[in-house]
Amino acid sequence: MNSGYPKWTPYVLISPFVVIFAVFMVYPMLYSVVLAVQQTFGPKTSTFVGLQNFKYLLTDPMFWKAVRNTFVFAAGSVFIQLPLSLGLAMLLNHEKVRGRVFFRMIFFSPSLVGTVFIAIMFGLMFDREGLVNVTFYQLIPGYPAEFPWLERFVMGSLIIAAMWQFTGFNMIYFLAALQNVSKDLSEAAMVDGAGPWPRFLNVTIPAIKPVASFVVLLSLIGSFQLFELAFVLLNNSGGPDDQGLTVVMYLYQNGFISGRLGKASAIGWMLAVLLMVFAVIQHRVAKASEN
Amino acid sequence: MSIKFLKRLLPDYLEYLSAGGWIILSLAVCSAIAVMCWPIPHREGLQFWIFSYSHETLYVGKVEEWNRDRQPQVNMSLLSNEALQQRMLASFLTDTPAADLIEVERNFVPQVFTGPIEDVGFVDLTDRLHEEGIYEQINEPSFGPWTSRGRIFGLPHDVHPVMLAYRADVFEEAGIDIESVQTWDEFAQVVLPLVGDRNGDTIPDYVISMWATGSFRDQLEALILQAGGALFDEHEQMHINTEVNAHVIATLVSWMVGPNRIAVDAGEFSAQGNKMRLDGRVLVAMMPDWLCGVWQLDMPGLEGKIKLMPLPAWEPGGRRTSVWGGTMLGMAKMSEDQENAWTFAKHLYLSEELAEGLYRSNYIISPVKSYWDRPFYDEPSDYFSGQAPGRLFINLAPDVPVRTSSPFNTFAKDRVSNAMFLLKEYALKNQVYDREDLMDEARRLLADAEKLVRRQVEENVFLRSQQ
Repeated sequence: MNSGYPKWTPYVLISPFVVIFAVFMVYPMLYSVVLAVQQTFGPKTSTFVGLQNFKYLLTDPMFWKAVRNTFVFAAGSVFIQLPLSLGLAMLLNHEKVRGRVFFRMIFFSPSLVGTVFIAIMFGLMFDREGLVNVTFYQLIPGYPAEFPWLERFVMGSLIIAAMWQFTGFNMIYFLAALQNVSKDLSEAAMVDGAGPWPRFLNVTIPAIKPVASFVVLLSLIGSFQLFELAFVLLNNSGGPDDQGLTVVMYLYQNGFISGRLGKASAIGWMLAVLLMVFAVIQHRVAKASEN
Repeated sequence: MSIKFLKRLLPDYLEYLSAGGWIILSLAVCSAIAVMCWPIPHREGLQFWIFSYSHETLYVGKVEEWNRDRQPQVNMSLLSNEALQQRMLASFLTDTPAADLIEVERNFVPQVFTGPIEDVGFVDLTDRLHEEGIYEQINEPSFGPWTSRGRIFGLPHDVHPVMLAYRADVFEEAGIDIESVQTWDEFAQVVLPLVGDRNGDTIPDYVISMWATGSFRDQLEALILQAGGALFDEHEQMHINTEVNAHVIATLVSWMVGPNRIAVDAGEFSAQGNKMRLDGRVLVAMMPDWLCGVWQLDMPGLEGKIKLMPLPAWEPGGRRTSVWGGTMLGMAKMSEDQENAWTFAKHLYLSEELAEGLYRSNYIISPVKSYWDRPFYDEPSDYFSGQAPGRLFINLAPDVPVRTSSPFNTFAKDRVSNAMFLLKEYALKNQVYDREDLMDEARRLLADAEKLVRRQVEENVFLRSQQ
């Protein structure tokens, strides 16, 4: 069918996107491959070093510490934050709960607050003389007056801060999924004598699985990119003994503080590979459970 | 006339897009042309970047004086420290224009020295300083942080000797003569009776502000330098795992844990730290000259309660001061008018007016030695209980230790600070509180720290090829 437009019209129409995508995404991505095999002092001075940056990282204790910390944070997000989000969503999905709209807004509202503000707020709360210590000291006999949360419990503090920020956000996804769970199925299971737990496992979970796996993937990607929260909460550093050093923070330190763009690019590619591996695993697990 | 008739008058290709599409396309084309044709404003005169508000207030007079009498005009801009660092590095690393003159804080300079010496973005001032006799006029250790591979890249702003500030009112009330203390070991013994719940809130109060976290890394470096240790020597060779450094971190940890604990985390520039100082929950702190002005501004409530004394030495008869902080003025290589920039740099930094202004506003001692006999340094300060801080700092200035400018110094400081943190955790876990019992673990942790820093140093092909 002849639409009346010349053949090249579609190319003209998509060209703005293609040009912008090529300039700001494809070129930097390809150039970062070039940088990853160079040692640099800014973009001006560089020398080819082959795979030295990758070799260095593979035996770099700080890099692996950053990877471990990032994994712990991701695990905290997936295994603590998401079940909490699901729990809240189930509560708010229950017809007998009053003021559901109000609570939905309350639980969602932390995700509207800027990450930097949240980091500062939790920094003050976890301070030696902050709200957490003052409260526990008043309530719990024998509690150490100035427990150093940001020395001893760095990752825990980060997970708690992120939990406050994102639990409500993920709850919205789960709530939307739960509202699409067929009531007929649930009622049929109830008639067959299934209790709340079997109904949850055999009716609710299978029904929300596509959304849940999407939320898990989103949460993993977000966790692997953790930066601002840790950066601000720990005063522009990885915290004592690098307990809060994340992969992206390590990348930032190398690329933008030390000017080692080559090493930073290598870190970026290693993070990309890690993310790809996780995405594939997650995809396969989701597919296997569907089958 | 109908629309159909109008359409027939227009060329066919106009139908490829809707009216809206043509409007968007025209806007895009027009704005692209406008952006391309927009004139980039030419920067007149010398551009001068600074990072400190208090410096700006001080420099305004000298800049106005220069602009009244001389050409080219100087345009001073105040940037945040981080913004200045990012813009300076971006400019140096890409050969794009920055300011002609840049004032930089010590912690941000080593990054400039990471690459080949010929790629350092600042002008090498070594020959000028020697030829014009300026090198001899200035306190020599002040050049240390701005020297890389034997070449000097900045004009020093300060000396920054360190003293000990203490709550004279509390010590006098307790009948403790702290001024007679000669060594740190003596200090730790003498102040011990003051540890306890001093304000009745059931929480124990300690004496000295010192802790094993990153925010205290500059104090740690100052104490290492005072003890005769170092992280890098003047030839930029690494000396992290040494007996002196192990002795210092083991001593400091023995202050932070156990039954003889005297130290507490009351960091500078923090609301919590300031409150602890005002409430008398911490009584002693290391005090470089620049911090005197900060305290006076942030904690006026301490007026008349504070006194200064030389740091206790690490061994009898040892050094009674150290050095903490520092600023330099550097000329960018990209500057098109280096001669005038250099003349202005001298006009500002070597002037007596600035020396007096620095002291009066911030208690900062000028690095120009010929001004050290000026009477304003002898004026008593109400804040420091009638003492003359200027004279006290000047008496110690010649003993200030030399510092390195190794590009790995900041990383090394972080690693040594981390070693101290791990030593503290070790002490708490194993209930080992005595310095001598901590020494083996201190050596092991410093060896680990050195290994990590050495990996980074050896990885740098630019420095390797120039050493």
